[in-house]
Parts: sequence; structure tokens; C-alpha cells
Amino acid sequence: MKLTTRLLAILLLMPLLCLQPALAQQDNTLDNIKKRGRLVVGFGSFIPWAMRDKQGQWIGFEIDVSAKLAKDMGVSVDLVPTAFDAIIPSLIANKFDVIIGGLTVTPVRKEQIDFSDPYSTSGQGVAASKAIAAKLKWPDDYNSAGVTWVCRRGTASCKIIEDKWPKAVIRQFDDDAIAFQEVINGSAHAIVSSEPKPTFFSLKNPDRLFKPTGENVSNSVEGFGVRKGSPVTLAYFNDWIVKNKDWLTQRHTYWFKTQEWAALVP
Amino acid sequence: MNSTRRSKPAARALAWHRSVWFEWLQFLVLFGLVLALTIHGAQSMDYQWKWAKVPKYIYRVIDGELIWGPLMKGVFVTLDIAWKAGILAMLIGLATALLRLSGTIVGSALAWTYIEVIRNTPILVQVLIFYFIIAAVLGIPREWAGVLCLAFYEGAFTAEIIRGAIVAVAKGQREAGQSLGFSRVDMYRDIVLPQALPLMLPPLGGILVNLVKHSAIVSVIAVFDLTTQARTVVSDTFMAFEIWLTTAAMYLVMTVTLSLLVAWLERRYKVH
Amino acid sequence: MSELKSRRLTVRARTRFTRWDLVLAMVLVLAVAGLLWRASGVFSYKWAWSTVWPFVFRFDELTASWVPNLLAEGLATTLRLAFWGILAASLIGTVMGFARVSQRLVFRLIGTAYVMLIRNIPPVVFVFVFVYFIASQIMPTLALGDRAKELSPALQWWVSVFFGTPKLLDNFLLGLLCLSVFSGAYVTEIVRAGIQSVPQAQIEAGNSLGMSQADVTRFVVLPQAFRNVLPPMAGQLIQLIKDSSLVSLVSIQELTFMAQDVQITTQRVFEVFVFTGAIYFVICFTLSQVFASLERRYARALK
Repeated sequence: MKLTTRLLAILLLMPLLCLQPALAQQDNTLDNIKKRGRLVVGFGSFIPWAMRDKQGQWIGFEIDVSAKLAKDMGVSVDLVPTAFDAIIPSLIANKFDVIIGGLTVTPVRKEQIDFSDPYSTSGQGVAASKAIAAKLKWPDDYNSAGVTWVCRRGTASCKIIEDKWPKAVIRQFDDDAIAFQEVINGSAHAIVSSEPKPTFFSLKNPDRLFKPTGENVSNSVEGFGVRKGSPVTLAYFNDWIVKNKDWLTQRHTYWFKTQEWAALVP
Repeated sequence: MNSTRRSKPAARALAWHRSVWFEWLQFLVLFGLVLALTIHGAQSMDYQWKWAKVPKYIYRVIDGELIWGPLMKGVFVTLDIAWKAGILAMLIGLATALLRLSGTIVGSALAWTYIEVIRNTPILVQVLIFYFIIAAVLGIPREWAGVLCLAFYEGAFTAEIIRGAIVAVAKGQREAGQSLGFSRVDMYRDIVLPQALPLMLPPLGGILVNLVKHSAIVSVIAVFDLTTQARTVVSDTFMAFEIWLTTAAMYLVMTVTLSLLVAWLERRYKVH
Repeated sequence: MSELKSRRLTVRARTRFTRWDLVLAMVLVLAVAGLLWRASGVFSYKWAWSTVWPFVFRFDELTASWVPNLLAEGLATTLRLAFWGILAASLIGTVMGFARVSQRLVFRLIGTAYVMLIRNIPPVVFVFVFVYFIASQIMPTLALGDRAKELSPALQWWVSVFFGTPKLLDNFLLGLLCLSVFSGAYVTEIVRAGIQSVPQAQIEAGNSLGMSQADVTRFVVLPQAFRNVLPPMAGQLIQLIKDSSLVSLVSIQELTFMAQDVQITTQRVFEVFVFTGAIYFVICFTLSQVFASLERRYARALK
């Protein structure tokens, strides 16, 4: 290839530098949603925020919230299940408009994204393995190098374990059910996870799991996650949360405090 | 290279824009452009580069004592898994190759089934089956489940290499051995294997490099290898770009070193 | 020589049922029985294959028909990834393969850098790196998913057949791009070996006949290189199908991802994973047998 051709080719690549996605410059999330006619929601599978029913369809608290939000906006909803440790980077990379997925508000996360006002509260609870952790004294014995905690990668649970039980070994998994399975099998001593999962799993496996304490090891609030620099979008969502407070509380009670939906899931 | 390289025009000085350094310059410019594109893309996402924070994940010096950071600890685990799986893979491969060559129906059927199953399923599915089913049934701890899975995976390829090398040793050698009264075992030991070994070494070196590469798959069962540590650090600090670049570089260092080592060994025991 | 090559160390007539067979068979039966007994204890449930089936096809009351469910959709995505992946990887690999044997150093450098970088890092790491770095810029800019949804319903149907539902188009294309760039490195080596395997004598013969360099490449080198490239490319297709399972780690909704999802939902670890492994095995094994028989027929025809 001649030199001039090659130089031309290199020069042609330069304009790619100008091709930047219109992010972070203006807040046009709401306009994009209306233009598309779809609200793209990122979430992670997290019982009972979002889970698959017997037919493999998504159901749960977040599914209800996303559906109602989209309906009120007059658009359809697109659900994007995402691995939880990738959910914030994916939001920043424009893969969806908002995270409605039981995203706990933490200071570290606030550096990356903005949160709406809280629309639900929950706490983190502990479940432990009867096989290997029954003799451990709560909470001090759990803070030793021979104790293995598990948590779900990317969630606030892992940070809690790091802070409260720094000497212990932490193993991270991509999904709660797999992490809980480790404790059920006796491969790990205990797990921190968002309530009501520790309670549910302990009730489902009474011979393998127990709760060392009835209290939450931490209490938290959840908010919608939006990209930084989206004040208009944020204001809209906050407004919507205030308007639907009662509905949100009622739905939250249904999914979190009752077991009426248990027949829907396998 | 030689088959397509035309002979250079003799004695005539190359034009400046065809000289070697200019070619390298063009390459580096292109490389720089790709890099600039990536950085630019990151910047438009309001990404803050924190390269200064990376070294502490590799090593720290506290009170004059060298403490390895999580990434280096992951490297040690990766190498540990790789060498254990390597030895097991060689043994499994040798046993399987001999089974296939043995002439027994059950033996060769077993070996053939093993090789075909491993070669026709993805390693990710194999790891999941190994950990969630086999290890759970036999009570094997996590790290050994990963080592065994890797060993069986590479073992299938090793078996084919060993078998190919043994078969490549001319049949005449085998018949000569038989006519000289060697027993089967002696014949393998003194005639076939010594000649098969130099044929095996180059592809087996490739298996060694593959062991380090494929060891990353144990990350899905939460073994603390380099990939798992990288994912943990990334999810804690959100420094995705820096950490992943560093991790890829560390793997590159490992594999390239191994490749060079294998090439050096090959030259020393060159096949004539 | 061909006679020696076609005879293996194990001649068929000698495969007989020896006492070792009996020993091996007994050991095998005992081992399998023991494993199954322990497995039923560990998993403490009766085998329930029927719970897996609804996740392959489910009965949709609205349309009163069998509709593909998660696993079938995952399988369709895997097949689409394989089909388009091998095409894209061939394109990339051919370009890079020629770059690697080019007379210009800069092209050789580009090709070699590409191959060495990708072949020396773990596939898992490549998938994560690629998705973080490249995809987050290219995908939103192109916004193909949105464009697809604005097409007419008829066009949308065609898109969904070849690429999957428009809703997941971005997701699919990301996985496709990742797999193509990754496999492209291996195809590059195949193409390079194919080109270099054409004997120098052929090129010289072409030159001595007065053919231009371009003509020599087109009429002498390429046809022979193409023939040499086909068997390894067949192997690469099978490898691509297996590698497609890795993109499940970045939430691309192919078969392995769906299998994990179903396993989490139903808690039926054994059935789901064995079923999924079996699907991969059937596809890859069938393909490899088909290619082997094609190769044999072609080799016979060449003689």
C-alpha cells in the first residue's frame, strides 16, 4: 500500500475521536425515554426484588415498580437483567436509563452515580450454617481467619463483612442463591444478605441454616440509580416516588412481609 | 515468512518512507490512536483515572517488609493451580493415551468417550458440573475441584498429543523391538517413549501455557486466583480500566515467560 | 509411507476382550454405582427431569401453543452467535492473516500484535476487558437496538430470526463482537499457515508464466490456501460454539447464561447442567463427525 494511502487511512481515523456519545454533557435521559417510547431498566435478580417464576418470567417488587413507572410515563418497559457487580458501570455506559434493583445507597456508590430519594428500606441479615457454625459465639467468634463468609459480588453485603469481621475470609459469588447454597452445603460459615432472604432461606432449610441473631446487621435505604448530572431526571423520579408513596408501601409489604407470592415461584 | 518474501532490491538504498524505523513509527502512531480513542471514550464517561492507586494492589512495603497485595496473591494462586493441574494432566493424558492404544474394548471405549466429552463441551460448563455436582458428591474442596477440572480438561488434549507422538514413532521400530524379544513394557520404555518424547515436547509446552490461561475459569467457583481478585478489586473500587489492564498485563507476563521458557527447552532438546 | 500412516499401533483385528476388559468393566460399574448412590444422598431428591422441560418450551395460554422458553431461546442465541461469529471472525482473520504475511513491516507488526495480545491472555479476562473498554463506547453510539425497534414489523421478524429479538439486539451484538475479535486471532493463524503452506515453487511457476503479483495471489495462492484452511476452520467453528459459553459471564443471554438462571430458579443443579452439557455435546460432536466424514470424502476424491 502506498504511503499516501496509509496516511489518508490514519487521518480518517482521527474523526473517530470526535465521535463521542452524548453522555454527561446534557441531561436528556427523559427526552430519550419519551422519544424511544421505552423505559430501559437495569436490575439484578434478587429475591424478592426480582426473580423468575415457574414459567421463567420476571416477577417481584422491582418489576412492579418498573412497570408502574413506565405506565405513568406513558411508555413501555424494557427489563435488562445484569450481573450486580456490573450494574453501575453498565448504567454509566448507557446500557439502560435507570437502575431499579434494590440498589442500596452507599457513600462509595454515590461517587459514581446519583440516587433518587429512598423508595424502600431494608436491612442486611445473617444466616449461618448449622453444620459448621453452630458452636461459634455471635458475633466475636465469626471474626477469625478460620471463618469463611460469603456474599454477592457488588452488593453492600461484602463491605459490611469487611468492616465488621475483618479477619475472616470472604468469598464472593455472582448470585445470592449460589452464595446461600455454599452455606447450606457447609462450605462456608455464614452469609450476609438483604432481608428477607436470610429469613426465607433459614425457614426453607431449617436443618442446615439458622440465624445467629434476629436483628439486622445494618439498615439501609434503596433508591433509583441514575447517571450523574441528570438533575431533571432525578427531580422527575423523586416527584413520582412522593406521588406513589402509598402504592409503594403496599407493594413492599406484599413482597417482603407476606409469603402470598410463594406459590408463583418454583 | 520466506515463502512470500520477495528478494530485496540489491544495493539500492531504501526510500526513507520504507525504512524500518518509519514502519515502527506508523505502527506506534496507530497504537497511540487506539489508546487515545479508549482514553477519550473513558473521559466522556466522566471516568477518573487513578493509576497512582494501582501499585498498592500489587505490593506494599510496610516497615521494610514486603507485603503482597491481592493481585499478586492471585498470581501465586494461579501458578499454584496451574502446576498442580499440569502434573495431573500429564498423568491423566499418559494413562488415557495408553488406554486408547491398549487394544482392550472397554479401555479404548472409556478413553475415547472421555476425550470426546471433554473436547465437545465448553470448559465453563465443565467447571460448573465439576464443582456443583462432582465435588459436591465426592466432598472435594473448592480449590481441588478447580485443579481437577483443569487437569481433566487439559488431560484430554495431552492424551491426543502423547498418542500422536507414540503412533508417529515408526511401526518398524515396534516390530524390531518385538523381534528382538522385548516385552511390551520394556519396548515402550526403552524404544517407543524415548523417541516419542522429543515429538511431544513442543505441543506439551503449548499445554503448559494453556494451563495458565484456562486457570482463569476457576474464578466462577470463587477460587482466589488472579481473575477473581481482579473482579473483587474492581467491584470495590470501580477502577475497572486500570485494574483490568494491569491484570491482562500480568497474565501476558506469565504466558510470554512460559512460552519463552518452552522455546528455550525446545532448542536444547532439538528434534533432529 | 501412506501405508505406514494409515496403520495405527492398535490394529483392529487385535482388539479383543481380554481379562483386563473384565477388570476395567467391573471397576467402572462399581464406581458409577457408588457415585450415583452418593449423589442421591447429597442431592436428596428424586431425579426430576420434568422440571427442566418447561424451561425449554412452555405452554402459553394466550396463544394456546408451545412457545420457546429460556433454554430454547438461549440455544437459539448460541447458534446465532456461532453462525455470525464464524463469518465475522473469518473476515477479521483473513485481513489480519494477510497482514501477518505482508511485505510491509507495519502490517506484520499490527497482525502480530493482534494475535499475540489475544492468544496470550485468558479468554475470561479478554471477555471482561473487551466488554468494559470497547463496548461501552461503540454500542451506545450505534444504538442499533433502538434503530431495530423502529423498523416495520415484517423487517423486525427477519431481524429476530437472524439476530434474536430486537430488545436484546445490543446485548447480542456485544457478545458477537467480543467472540469475533477473540476468534479472529485464531483464524489469523489458520489463514497465515494456509497461505504459507502454498509451496514457493507454485508462486515461482506463476511468476515465470508472466502473471502479475496480484494475479498470482488470486489464481495460484488463494485457491490452494483456501483448501488448506478449511479443516482447521471447521475446528474453529466448533471451538467458537464452546467459547460462546464464556460471554455468559458478561450477561449475554446465551445458553449457559440461561442454564445458570434456570438452575438458580429451580435449584435443580444436576438436571440443568447435565442437560446443558448434553446439548453442547450433541451439537459439537455431530459437527465434528460431519466435518470428519466430509474431509475423508474429499481426501479420497483428491487421490
